[in-house]
Amino acid sequence: MSSIIQTQGLTKVYGANGTAVHALRGIDLTVAKGEFVALIGPSGSGKSTLMAILGCLDLPTDGTYTLDGRQVQGLSGGELARIRNEKVGFVFQSYNLLPKASIARNVELPMLYAGVGRKERRERALALLEKVGIADKADKLPGTLSGGQRQRVAVARALANEPALLLADEPTGALDSKTGAEVLGLFRELHQQGNTLLLVTHDPSIAAQAERQVEIRDGLIAHGEGAA
Amino acid sequence: MNTSGAFRERLLGAWVEIQENLGRSVLQAMGVLLGVASVLGGFSISDSQRKRADEMFVKMGGLDKLNVQPKAAVRDGRPTALQQANLGLRDEDAVGGEALKADAIHGVSRQKFARVRVVSAYGDQDRQISGIGGDFIPANGYGVARGRAFSASEMDTGAPVVILGTEAAQVFFPKGDALGQTLRVGSVPVTVIGLFEERVFRFREGQRNQFWWRNRIIAVPANLVQRRMNGDAYRRVDRVTFRIPDLGAMGGFAKQLSDLLKANHRLQEDFRLDDVAARIRRRNSQGDVYDIIFLLSGVLALVGGGIVNVNIQMAGLKERVREVGVKMAIGASGREIFKGFMTEALLLTALGSLAGLALGVGFSWVITKSLGIPLYMTPASFLWAYGLAAAFGFLFALYPAWKASRLSPMEALRYE
Repeated sequence: MSSIIQTQGLTKVYGANGTAVHALRGIDLTVAKGEFVALIGPSGSGKSTLMAILGCLDLPTDGTYTLDGRQVQGLSGGELARIRNEKVGFVFQSYNLLPKASIARNVELPMLYAGVGRKERRERALALLEKVGIADKADKLPGTLSGGQRQRVAVARALANEPALLLADEPTGALDSKTGAEVLGLFRELHQQGNTLLLVTHDPSIAAQAERQVEIRDGLIAHGEGAA
Repeated sequence: MNTSGAFRERLLGAWVEIQENLGRSVLQAMGVLLGVASVLGGFSISDSQRKRADEMFVKMGGLDKLNVQPKAAVRDGRPTALQQANLGLRDEDAVGGEALKADAIHGVSRQKFARVRVVSAYGDQDRQISGIGGDFIPANGYGVARGRAFSASEMDTGAPVVILGTEAAQVFFPKGDALGQTLRVGSVPVTVIGLFEERVFRFREGQRNQFWWRNRIIAVPANLVQRRMNGDAYRRVDRVTFRIPDLGAMGGFAKQLSDLLKANHRLQEDFRLDDVAARIRRRNSQGDVYDIIFLLSGVLALVGGGIVNVNIQMAGLKERVREVGVKMAIGASGREIFKGFMTEALLLTALGSLAGLALGVGFSWVITKSLGIPLYMTPASFLWAYGLAAAFGFLFALYPAWKASRLSPMEALRYE
């Protein structure tokens, strides 16, 4: 099975010599295509840093990272933006929708950056909203939607460019347990459709919904290293 | 332009952003607006003033005329025999001059002055009278209001006829119609055959008539003065005027004429030509100082506005760090972010400039109205005002947009 994520000796150091903080101390992680992995660990464990690097928002200090067959370390800002655009879909705890743009426009935005034509953008955005079950809200502003609905929009946006990897950072953290469960159900559905998911959480009960758990502690993988 | 309509989207996004932050946007546009209004207003007021001055110059028989007048050939000491034998400015000079460049010359007029006693039943004054020849009347902006101008034969024979300016008519015939009446000029009784239109020119409304002295004219045929009042055997004249509308041709003509007259006058420079080059220089430099001052004040307003805008944008950027982070996370490159911010700033500049142009027009209108001169605006003023605003808008947008584009997506996303 081909791997989507493959890292070797990934380290991240913040700050200079004297006050250096070692957020990651050598992560070797492999995630195969189609896997649903939960990244779990207490706050300060380095899981957010790892997620940022896996999502190409940040570069590792040392080590190698291959995302969907593409070497990431050493790429320029523009190239990283392109990879984020094409290969990664983000879902954040606080949704991070653009408040001044309509739901449909929010979903269209990654496609706009990818250079998809206007008509096709609109069609695909509507199809994605249909898929997450809120097609009727397309022309509303995010502020008028409930938390669960907003997170669905965020999922639709993350799927816009058919990414190799879906990265969800505490996606249910701001939701009540019922809507949280619904969103998790959506993730499972996406997993069944063949998407590769990486879910970051500090909550073991949520992590249990994934097919594999990887625990991070003090910048190192404590459990669940390697492929399932 | 790519097919995804990215520019259109950016423009739309910028428009939404401007609407959402209306107060801030208005403040930002204000700096541009004032700068544009100041440049356009300044230029237009300066142009109006210059145009008015031009009008006066033309009305006075200004720009397009080259005057030749006699000049003493000897400044001190006794004149030489050659100088004494010289003939002065003559009719022939006018004829010869016209022959030089007949196609460029639109008229030649001669004047011969005399200071004589002028007497009617109602007035008795010592006055300067103008003996006129050639195209004097149209070339100097006079028009005959009543009666008629001199006929060719009257000009030729020096017939005893006269045309009066309004002041002269008032002085010598205060009680009624001067036409057909007789006036004694020197020892010659002349018949009034025409009355000139009143000449009026006020630089601003309510000011005194700059042309009042032109209404004092008492015009008779030049040959009449020559033959019966103040003449000599050489038929000398006091002024020859060539009318040449093409300013470019004027310089060359002045040079040729000077050479010709010098040759005719036994190499004596006993004549004086208008300094055409100086006149053109003066014409071109008129109001330049004002233009520079207005341009400077406009530029200062734009720079001041620009600095304020940078501040506002930097403050605004703080509120939008997270938005930038989100856009970067879903794939916007730094370049894309930069373009977005630039589009916003330039759209704002464009809107501010348009409002500024409107304000500038109003501003110029009010000022010229209060000065009492007609408003005159040129496309160049609009282009200057708009171009400067666009240039400064662009320059001052660069820094905030660059700053935004350099944000780290990671830190921007975490920014609270």
